[in-house]
Amino acid sequence: MNSGNYRKRSAAETPSPQQQQKHHAAMEEEDLDEDVFLEETLLQYEEDSQVLRELEESNAIKERLQKWERPSLSQAYIAQTQSISFQQLEIDYIIAESHKELLPNSSGQAAILRIFGVTKEGNSVCCHVHGFEPYFYISCPPGMGPDDISRFHQILEGRMREANRNSNAPKFVRRIEVVQKRSIMYYQQQASQSFLKIVVALPTMVTSCRGILDRGIQIDGLGMKSFLTYESNVLFALRFMIDCNIVGGNWIEVPVGKYKKAARNLSYCQLEFDCLYSDLISHSPEGEFSKMAPFRILSFDIECAGRKGHFPEPTQDPVIQVANLVTLQGQDQPLIQNVMTLKSCSPIVGVDIMSFDTEKEVLRAWRDLIREVDPDIIIGYNICNFDLPYLIRRAEVLGMAEFPVLGRIRNSRVRVKDATFSSRQHGTRESKEITIEGRVQFDLFQAVQRDYKLSSYSLNSVSAHFLNEQKEDVHHSIISDLQNGNAETRRRLAVYCLKDAYLPQRLLDKLMFIYNYVEMARVTGVPISFLLSRGQSIKVLSQLLRKAKQKELVIPNAKQAGSEQGTFEGATVLEARAGFYEKPIATLDFASLYPSIMMAYNLCYCTLVTPEEVRKLNLPPECVNKTPSGETFVKSTLQKGILPEILEELLTARKRAKADLKEATDPRVKAVLDGRQLALKISANSVYGFTGATVGQLPCLEISSSVTSYGRQMIEHTKKLVEDKFTVLGGYEHNAEVIYGDTDSVMVQFGVPTVEEAMKLGREAADYISGTFIKPIKLEFEKIYYPYLLISKKRYAGLLWTNPDKHDKMDAKGIETVRRDNCLLVKNLVTECLYKILVDRDVPGAVQYVKNTISDLLLNRMDLSLLVITKGLTKTGDDYEVKTAHVELAERMRKRDAATAPSIGDRVPYVIIKAAKGAKAYEKSEDPIYVLENNIPIDPQYYLENQISKPLLRIFEPILKNASKELLHGDHTRSIAVPTPSNSGIMRFAKKQLTCIGCKTPLSGSDRTICKHCKGREAELYCRSVANVAELEKLFGKLWTQCQECQGSLHQDVLCTSRDCPIFYRRKKAQKDMAEAKTQLDRWNF
Amino acid sequence: MVLMEVDSEKNLLHRKQSLYQSLDENFGIQKEVYRGQQYSQIYFARLHLMRTLLYSLIPNWKPHLPVCTVLGLEEGKECIIVGTLYKQMKLKPSILDEYSKERSASPLVQRHNFTHLDDNLVLEDESGRVKLSGCLLPSAYVTGNIIALHGKETSAGEFLVEDVLEAGLPQQIERPIELGEDKYVVFISGLSVGRSSSNPLQFQLLVDHITGHLGDEKEQNIAAQIVQVVIAGNSVEVPHGLLNGQNLGSKDQSRLFEPIKELDILLTQIAASIPLDIMPGSSDPANFSLPQQPLHRCLFPGSSAYNTFRSCTNPHCFELDNIRFLGTSGQNIDDLGKYSEANNNIDFMERTLRWRHLAPTAPNTLGCYPFTDRDPFYVETCPHVYFVGNQDKYESRLIKGSEGQMVMLICIPRFVETGVAVVTEKEDI
Repeated sequence: MNSGNYRKRSAAETPSPQQQQKHHAAMEEEDLDEDVFLEETLLQYEEDSQVLRELEESNAIKERLQKWERPSLSQAYIAQTQSISFQQLEIDYIIAESHKELLPNSSGQAAILRIFGVTKEGNSVCCHVHGFEPYFYISCPPGMGPDDISRFHQILEGRMREANRNSNAPKFVRRIEVVQKRSIMYYQQQASQSFLKIVVALPTMVTSCRGILDRGIQIDGLGMKSFLTYESNVLFALRFMIDCNIVGGNWIEVPVGKYKKAARNLSYCQLEFDCLYSDLISHSPEGEFSKMAPFRILSFDIECAGRKGHFPEPTQDPVIQVANLVTLQGQDQPLIQNVMTLKSCSPIVGVDIMSFDTEKEVLRAWRDLIREVDPDIIIGYNICNFDLPYLIRRAEVLGMAEFPVLGRIRNSRVRVKDATFSSRQHGTRESKEITIEGRVQFDLFQAVQRDYKLSSYSLNSVSAHFLNEQKEDVHHSIISDLQNGNAETRRRLAVYCLKDAYLPQRLLDKLMFIYNYVEMARVTGVPISFLLSRGQSIKVLSQLLRKAKQKELVIPNAKQAGSEQGTFEGATVLEARAGFYEKPIATLDFASLYPSIMMAYNLCYCTLVTPEEVRKLNLPPECVNKTPSGETFVKSTLQKGILPEILEELLTARKRAKADLKEATDPRVKAVLDGRQLALKISANSVYGFTGATVGQLPCLEISSSVTSYGRQMIEHTKKLVEDKFTVLGGYEHNAEVIYGDTDSVMVQFGVPTVEEAMKLGREAADYISGTFIKPIKLEFEKIYYPYLLISKKRYAGLLWTNPDKHDKMDAKGIETVRRDNCLLVKNLVTECLYKILVDRDVPGAVQYVKNTISDLLLNRMDLSLLVITKGLTKTGDDYEVKTAHVELAERMRKRDAATAPSIGDRVPYVIIKAAKGAKAYEKSEDPIYVLENNIPIDPQYYLENQISKPLLRIFEPILKNASKELLHGDHTRSIAVPTPSNSGIMRFAKKQLTCIGCKTPLSGSDRTICKHCKGREAELYCRSVANVAELEKLFGKLWTQCQECQGSLHQDVLCTSRDCPIFYRRKKAQKDMAEAKTQLDRWNF
Repeated sequence: MVLMEVDSEKNLLHRKQSLYQSLDENFGIQKEVYRGQQYSQIYFARLHLMRTLLYSLIPNWKPHLPVCTVLGLEEGKECIIVGTLYKQMKLKPSILDEYSKERSASPLVQRHNFTHLDDNLVLEDESGRVKLSGCLLPSAYVTGNIIALHGKETSAGEFLVEDVLEAGLPQQIERPIELGEDKYVVFISGLSVGRSSSNPLQFQLLVDHITGHLGDEKEQNIAAQIVQVVIAGNSVEVPHGLLNGQNLGSKDQSRLFEPIKELDILLTQIAASIPLDIMPGSSDPANFSLPQQPLHRCLFPGSSAYNTFRSCTNPHCFELDNIRFLGTSGQNIDDLGKYSEANNNIDFMERTLRWRHLAPTAPNTLGCYPFTDRDPFYVETCPHVYFVGNQDKYESRLIKGSEGQMVMLICIPRFVETGVAVVTEKEDI
């Protein structure tokens, strides 16, 4: 079931957070470990026997599935004479008895890490890693001797036992060691100090132990003392990866003899073994190890038979089809195309169809498919919030305890929990977190929503946007009809369902998600699954921890520290001198401004000097930098900052990746490298944000406010230098003028008339000003805007030139923000006007175009689809406090026909119609189809005033005097045409009488076509009628054959009702207009 | 019939006559109504009609092979399938292009041909689609063709074509054996009265010529043997932009009407002496979709007074002395030229006859009325003369069918550009 239409109940409608000038504290949830006990995840005995029974029954289907098994193991693997090398995709841990052979000295329960991956032969791997223990640090109180430590150990153990009464763990705190480390916070002169490394038995105990130490603990001789903990907020799996130098998605090797084949296979993986964490070899992703293993990607989609007028609910509505597409990473063609259907379904060429009589069998077959095919990555569109939870809930309703064994661990059920994901960048989103052990889920809906700003995230509009393809959209009320038809109609549905499974795979390929995400995981060092489910900060934290570990630094868990800190001043924007510039405008950009500032001024946690320390230490002035915001940081001569070092590495790595990219010839290698340089860029830019996230992992507003203050200073400095140097007095032909400046760029009008000259001066200015900055801060000349329409800050448009011969494209910022509550007309109008103004240099033409459009609007000649406004229905009418147009309309439509009315989660398209005087805005909404069918007049004034006037005036005010008067109140607004509605008011009682085709006089007597006064004009009038028919016929043919094309069949009627499709309403209208025009024309046949 | 009076009063030349029978009924859509029907039905009707025909031919073609539906294909099994072709074309323009995000900087060049090397064919029947590979040349076929294919399904799910069967020429009615006397039919197309480049004198010369007002006795003798004039479309050209819904001012009215009036005067001269069939074409004041309906009589107040004046449909079918004529104003062939390839337009014409279908690309790329229960473009009976108007140059060819059918194919050039009318002698056929 696909259509993002009704899937984005919560996610899509959340307003995207505005980029704010002031940085506010934003939520960023802490990630907590959660211990999962192996025994608890496994099915109980009584269920087990049932499962066994079920398994026997489904043997027939198993045989069919077997052909899709993974390639079998080579002899070397079976004989264990070969070291095992694999690309890991997922790392988690489980609590179980510790391994007797590998760890003879320990007993009881321990955390065992599981690494899932694929070898280059395509064999699946499950590696159980033993011996790695959870730990964290506290600073050692001065004067603590070995005896004190063992006493402290006992007290802590006692407190832990108290706090965890339910636990039957024999020991909580395994040991406490003294280590020499240094806190990352603040510049310190001494090299290191003592810290206590507290090693606990299970990962969750880190949190509970931290709580105890935070609150304070009574120690003999020292009294009540609370401790600041260090690195106590690091997830166990990440801790393991950091300590073993493993980054997300890299290759791991376990040498021969170092692994032991598991005694009892717990997983379905082909290679399952135990080993010690110290025996793992982690390969950095270079050369041979930068490649991708041939992992299996399953893309799937389900269809449900909803009841009329309701969104499908798993408690009631059956799953009727599941389409599956399995692709090997790096291959163009899918390995498997399969559809599972409830009831018979006619075959589809090239597709494996499995039909079943009961829904239970369908679900069971799907589970078996997962098991046999053994996908490493499961993708789909909105699977995390719709398809997967639906399947799981549905199986529960049907009492299929054996269904949710979808992971790679035998007899282990998937776990479902509600999760909220929130970050400053993406806002708060609710979602379901479904843990399928050993398989990565990648929901394209979430990924696209995260990485791209679009006006709509329905699968239809996303694929239209990226793949340039409209998708057939079958309304859910039709889905049930198709299901209840025959094998042919169900085949129709299956084709549709398959397409919905195919599109996510194509999006994945087209947007290079696999490459980009794996590279991001490799660069930042987090597991791939973190990238979608967690915010930005974990990525920076992971890099920081890795770096800190090398430097023997520890990172405090300074969560609370940030909360009382307020806001700080953000980036600066030079005032925009609005206007239409017809001379070339050069743009000078700072390359990676914020990272460069941090590097140039050595800004870091460990270089920051507190005001007290400044006084105490009495540092020589040549060794420190005082930032414009008043903070003090030592220079790299005294202490090199960690953040600058990380940034340097990232940027150097990016340079290298870009250089390699140029050299590379193999398209796969290219994809990897391009993904890498992109990941490196994003990572470098997110470091600044990490220090400013006040409720983040390690906020340090001294750093972030210093960065922005330097940034502001640089923009001002640039402006001053440009305007001082490039003057007539300085020997140049014109005085340069800075017309606008944003966060990291400055727009300069040098006054020269040609692009070439402006480019020359731009380069000169960039070089000259760069010389005045500390390295690596660099001002670059990048592009020319010519002509340039500056409306206000962050709103501008212009033609972009990077070489003097030809412009590259039209660039518009902040103008065309295709807001969802705008109709298409606005976008078209604005684009066309900008095009005429900037490219054609034809301002009068643009004005005329606006006038014509407005006139068309008033004369009711506008294509209705341009006027449709769409909003998502998230709650029912009663739940909304304020009445809104789309909710009211949904209510009204429900009264008309409950079956086709939009339900919650649907998007409601509407147009604003003329209504009685004084009608409220929300009463004037109407269903576009209803409007078409009944000839209801739209309200052109609404569109004029509420939709198009503001964006138009914004564009034209810098260009035209009296723009408002000229555009919105001219002669072209005088004539208005309103069609007569056919359904309402007085028209219901009206008698129809033929009127003269020429002059609309009612006809009487024997005249059927024209009145006696119009006699003699027949030829002209006929030509008009027939020309009208000809136009409509042309349109009718184009529209309906296009729809046949989309649906991929000539012999079947078009069913699609995709309201996202630009031609949906036109198609409907063409059909209706055609019928009317033909009737009109037939009147000539007297 | 009108007598023609030439110079000498005593030596009267009598215009010959023929028995005329109109067969346009099939192309009328007066009784049809737009009821929300879609194009699937005309494809269905076509498939049904032509499949029955092809099935009847298969026993003579490859009797040993089983006939399958697309659904019934089994990998590796040789069989015959029958269905509608669909050509996937990379360059095919789409109405959705209007909505493409990026506006291209340069105006789009109108292409004359949308074929591409990557085009491929798919065969569809009611049960499904299968991609075709093998010996079938995509450039020679178009969407909407119905053919029988011999081949087998490959492991990749494609159908590997080994041999193709087209419907071939239909049955022809018996030609009258004795023709006795010479008779001529004149074909004209593309008069384009009203176009700036049109030369009124040229047309007047033609009219005078065929009506016998010019030439010596020998030529007049020939003129007297003309029994029928057929105008195959594009007789007038109405200036663009005049018909956009607004009431016209009197000046524009005359601009619009002038060419039609001029045409009427000349047609009156023809109709006064020779029977005249006029077909609508793409530039005429008629509907756009095929079949185009007859030009309205009210446009021709002068000539329509004569009963020799007949306004016909496009395509147009008639019989003269039991010789069958079938033709169009050119849209069907022009559309084939855009979506497939051939050496010349006569080849396209020949193909349509061998496919037994005048306009396979309708409705896919050629506008067409959405018929529900029939396909009027199916050629049930083979004509003796098959003509197409508005072509670049005059071409003709005589083709023979397997059952002794003989058809004269004629490309009629645009008169306005070439000044050529085509005279066909019935003896030739």
